[in-house]
Amino acid sequence: MTALHARAPYAGVGLLIAVFAVFFLLPFAGLLERGLGDSGAWDAITSDTALDALVLSLWTSGVSLVIAVVAGTPVAYWLAHARFPGKGAVEALIDLPIVLPPTIAGVALLTAFGRKGLLGGPLDDWFGLTLGFSTVAVIFAQLFVGAPFYVRAARAGFASVDAQYERVAHTLGASRLRAFARIVLPLSWPSLAAGAALCWARALGELGATLIFAGNLQGETQTMPLAILSAFESADGLTTAVAMAILLLAVALVALAAFWLLSTRGRGTA
Amino acid sequence: MTLEFAARTQLGDFSYDARFEAGNEIVVLFGHSGAGKSLTLQLIAGLLRPAEGRIAIGGEPVFDSATGLDLPPQQRRLGYVVQDLALFPHMTVAENVAFGMTGAGREERLGGLLDLMHLAEYRDRRPRSLSGGQQQRAALARALARDANLLLLDEPFSALDESLRVELRRELIRLRSELDLSVIFVTHDLREAHLVADRLAVFDEGRLLQFDGRERVFRQPANRRVAELTGVANILRGRVAAAQDGTLTIEAGGSSLRAPVPNGWRPGEGEVVDVAIRAERVNLRRLDADDPGQPNLVRGTIREELGYGATHTLRFESALGQPVEVEIAARPYEVLGVAGQKSWTLELPPEDLHVMPVSSESESGAPRASATTA
Repeated sequence: MTALHARAPYAGVGLLIAVFAVFFLLPFAGLLERGLGDSGAWDAITSDTALDALVLSLWTSGVSLVIAVVAGTPVAYWLAHARFPGKGAVEALIDLPIVLPPTIAGVALLTAFGRKGLLGGPLDDWFGLTLGFSTVAVIFAQLFVGAPFYVRAARAGFASVDAQYERVAHTLGASRLRAFARIVLPLSWPSLAAGAALCWARALGELGATLIFAGNLQGETQTMPLAILSAFESADGLTTAVAMAILLLAVALVALAAFWLLSTRGRGTA
Repeated sequence: MTLEFAARTQLGDFSYDARFEAGNEIVVLFGHSGAGKSLTLQLIAGLLRPAEGRIAIGGEPVFDSATGLDLPPQQRRLGYVVQDLALFPHMTVAENVAFGMTGAGREERLGGLLDLMHLAEYRDRRPRSLSGGQQQRAALARALARDANLLLLDEPFSALDESLRVELRRELIRLRSELDLSVIFVTHDLREAHLVADRLAVFDEGRLLQFDGRERVFRQPANRRVAELTGVANILRGRVAAAQDGTLTIEAGGSSLRAPVPNGWRPGEGEVVDVAIRAERVNLRRLDADDPGQPNLVRGTIREELGYGATHTLRFESALGQPVEVEIAARPYEVLGVAGQKSWTLELPPEDLHVMPVSSESESGAPRASATTA
């Protein structure tokens, strides 16, 4: 039992870990206790408001993820390999939305794509196209805050693949595209899956930017986080809010488990 | 199968210039690390682009700075085994080998190749679960799978223990004759170079110093630097006293050496030259009163002695006024009784002496070396 003796001085650390764990687990316990103990929870979950919000949340966050992956993958690959002056600044700019408070992101999006915004103004004047306070705005907000998580992870994933593999693939007759698909993609797959999961989770949870840039219209811009906020602010809304929160939590857990399976399957072959 | 190669380029402070060709043979690129050997392979494969030059594989140009031709790596038909092998870690051995295969009958050819390289039983294993030798063979099989007749090998046996090296070398020599291959083989190991080379290209600081048949390079190095790089222990400085009938008489420290006039270069009388002789080519004779004054016989005294078991290396202070190193096998060492005798007559046979220009900058002694064309 010498090992235990050696660890004895670290008992304080163990206590700290326990307190920390309780801090993170207790809120989930509270949520479940309140939600499952309330007979009105099921009605709240199956209400039109909740279902509309859930459907909207799922498909908008899905679209955001697809756009982030399709547009972000080439950007990440380029950032992983290119050497140019000012690269650090470009990377910092791409990371900026990660540290930016979402409300600032919402205001910024409004000034760019809103009705009187830099691009939104001309679009509205010339084509009668209004982006603000529409479902498109919801996706814009999610993409703006979520995509950097994917680009960041994918960039690190691509950079971790030894360039020698690609070079050898070329000498074996593989085009750039084939080398990417057969070598780079499988080898960086865990990073890509983790980045995609973070991106999607961030999009799903988006609240501040959506509220400011897209508004809170049921069936159009009211995603789950907004619906939960609205329910919480209404009279006796805590029951509904808790119920919807549990629903969103369950959906998120299922989706993250799927991402995790995807990434470990990729890793298993790596 | 042929490779024609001529390239000149500049990478930072490093300037590179080389020109050689290869037929159905193993050409060994030999030199210290940083001499430009691996760089040569990358230029041939198209992973690096020279400033100027021309590269043709099987008569088909793949790079030509005069016409602006520069085929990407995937369009150059060759097999390339990089130094760290770079087997794709997420693929099985079979998937790795099949990666570069195209066209019909893939499965059949894959099976044949795996058999050829003794990899059939490992076909579904991942590279990291293989031994070093199996990995080397897998990388070689993958490079051969393109059906290319030009094989580029970058220190392919460096990570192996001696028994595996010998086995793989034998395999390589077999493959060369079975598959009509041109092999460009990079190594910094002199013994390995000697063992596999049909022809030898000696690189130093980005320059191809000599390109010749293996024996020629070892016996008749183009200049002092080549002699040093190929392990010639004795490079003696002397002055040409006479040149007649294809024989040079060279004076050094009061003794005289007769040596054949080297190919393609004829030093004048009075010219200072370097004379190379390998340590194992010097014979020991017991002292004889008649010896002094005879050419190619030099008195010497042992000053240092190193025993390696199978051979002994003796360092002599000699009548040439310069130290001479002699390598002698264990058996003659005992028969002659070298251990109990310090003074000997050293015989430097004329046919084993090779006369070189003093400056390695002068390339007149190396008719086929690249730098003359620069």
